[in-house]
Amino acid sequence: MDRFKLLELGRRGLLGGGALAAAGLLGLGGGRGLVRPAAAAEGDDVPSLEGKTIAISIVGTDHHWDLEAYKAQIAEVERLGGTAVGLDAGRNDQKLVAQLQTVIGQKPDAVVQTLGTLSVIEPWLIRIKEAGIPLFTVDVPTPHSINNTTSDNFMIGSSLALQLVSDLGGKGNVVVFNGFYGVPVCAIRYDQLKAVLKYFPDVKILEPELRDVIPNTVQDAYTQITAVLNKYPEKGSVNAVWSAWDVPQLGATQAIAAAGRNEVRTYGVDGSPEVVELVKDPDSPAAAVAAQQPAAIGKASIQNIARHLAGQPVPSFTFLPSILVTKANAAEAQKQLGQG
Amino acid sequence: MSMVVEQAGGERADLRRLGTLALRAGSLLAFVAVLVFFSATAPFFLSFFNFTNVIAQSAILAILAFGMTVVIIGGGGNVVTGGIDLSVAANLGLCAAVYASLIQAGQGDAVAILATLLTGLTVGATNAFAVVAVGILPLLATLAVMNVAAGLELVLTENTVLSASTPFLMAINNIGPLGVPNLAWILLVVAVALILLVQFTPMGLRLQAVGEHREAARAAGLPVARYVAATYLVSGLFAALGAILSVAYLSGSSTGSAELLLGVVVTALLGVVFSRRLVPTVGGTLLAALFIGFLGNGFQLLNISSYWVSGVQGALILLVVAATSVLRRKES
Repeated sequence: MDRFKLLELGRRGLLGGGALAAAGLLGLGGGRGLVRPAAAAEGDDVPSLEGKTIAISIVGTDHHWDLEAYKAQIAEVERLGGTAVGLDAGRNDQKLVAQLQTVIGQKPDAVVQTLGTLSVIEPWLIRIKEAGIPLFTVDVPTPHSINNTTSDNFMIGSSLALQLVSDLGGKGNVVVFNGFYGVPVCAIRYDQLKAVLKYFPDVKILEPELRDVIPNTVQDAYTQITAVLNKYPEKGSVNAVWSAWDVPQLGATQAIAAAGRNEVRTYGVDGSPEVVELVKDPDSPAAAVAAQQPAAIGKASIQNIARHLAGQPVPSFTFLPSILVTKANAAEAQKQLGQG
Repeated sequence: MSMVVEQAGGERADLRRLGTLALRAGSLLAFVAVLVFFSATAPFFLSFFNFTNVIAQSAILAILAFGMTVVIIGGGGNVVTGGIDLSVAANLGLCAAVYASLIQAGQGDAVAILATLLTGLTVGATNAFAVVAVGILPLLATLAVMNVAAGLELVLTENTVLSASTPFLMAINNIGPLGVPNLAWILLVVAVALILLVQFTPMGLRLQAVGEHREAARAAGLPVARYVAATYLVSGLFAALGAILSVAYLSGSSTGSAELLLGVVVTALLGVVFSRRLVPTVGGTLLAALFIGFLGNGFQLLNISSYWVSGVQGALILLVVAATSVLRRKES
């Protein structure tokens, strides 16, 4: 039962306390008054989607996280006997809006939107809801969706920030990539970083903040971090690089290693296999990555749809556990994430 | 002897006419066939909502392609040395950034519209200066201007999404008279106006003369340079108009507008096969934009992966360019 171990680690790693009984293993939310993902992991008691069409719209699938979530959503719809309409916008907002518009005419039995810039998609999510189509989201907190399935990004943001503060000994300069504040999950992680740093005034964010980009994220981060290291040539003048996901972290880590400045540590979110591998490497500047379970998130979002369509109650939020992967637990985490 | 030559020439001309007719009829038939196929197989395809929605979705692409079409009409259809404006998409990105920045800075729509139109025109004027006054090949001149515009957009947006929402922008997204989306109305009105201007006024005819036979046009006393320069200004203006629609559509300015360029070039080229003489026309471009829109829409309704759409688009272009080049070669 790999999944069980993974979830247990999520509980141990993030909740710490033993207050939660075995039933609480499945969701972080249990302890915070939010509804846990009821039996989301087992999936045996999930109602069938026979004869149902589910539109699965995603902002793009060029990143490990997106692709895992998207593939799992489609697989789960098919496993439950439904028809999946896969809509991949290829990181193009025009295409994303067009596919959401077309969905309104298509009238599927439900729509699930994964990721996206909130200001761009929200007007169209509202129209989907107004057209009477049940709307679900992944990583898009909006009052218009019946259920948003996601990692607890507040927890991810604060635990990653605390790990950073701890690694730096409460003192140092941090370079921050903040290019996607319009994407709610990124904004939450960034705000949590700021919230933690408020109490550690000796950890400072270097201005100006950097903007990570899509596409060419890795090359661009490499170039930008190389420039920053040239700007601050003295060892110890830069201590960490933080990004709200781990593809910029990949480029930053490579740039730091290439510049021979391994005293600079990198931090990110998602847990792409190549980044977890870097964190595991004792010589790599990659210090920590908050690893999510994109496939479990995708699967749980579809199971919520199946329950809703069968008339069962569904919580507003479903949180799936994540693991903070550090040098200390990377090897174990790799196994539990099914990587390596 | 001369009779034989004439006969051969006549046969060649007949062959060419036949080829042109076949290509044009073939493409119109293909368009109709695609519509019939989708409406027979995809539920909702022919529904009023879906049909008008596709027209609305095609508006931004079509309006950019209109600008491109006017440039090609005035500059000649030669892909390397003729008229082309590679900066349209980047210009749209810059204009959208200007609009969204001004809204975020607390300005009203009137100021934002004015500044956006001015921005588009300035980029167009830069193209016109580089092409007409300096004499740089349009392909290279507009490529350089494209980079300048893209850079300025990054300065304004820092590569982030700038959200902008005003009652005016929301109205653009709403359903208008007769239950047709306002975006679709805007597209139709702009298309009709431009078709009238380019196809049915003396000015439009002179523009076509400048593009097709520049030396003859110059000999006839037409201010050739002024006409060519004007096409780049028109293209800049259309990029600005497209930007306003885009800001409405995406509730702000978004990154990645450069990706529109390929679609614009594809649309303008594809439009050629929808014209009677295989030349770029505004009506042909409109049909091409709608064709591409219906194709993508039908694929989604049929649950065919959207990854196929780009493949089909590429194949179409190859087919069209090959067919028109063969016919052009026969002509010359």
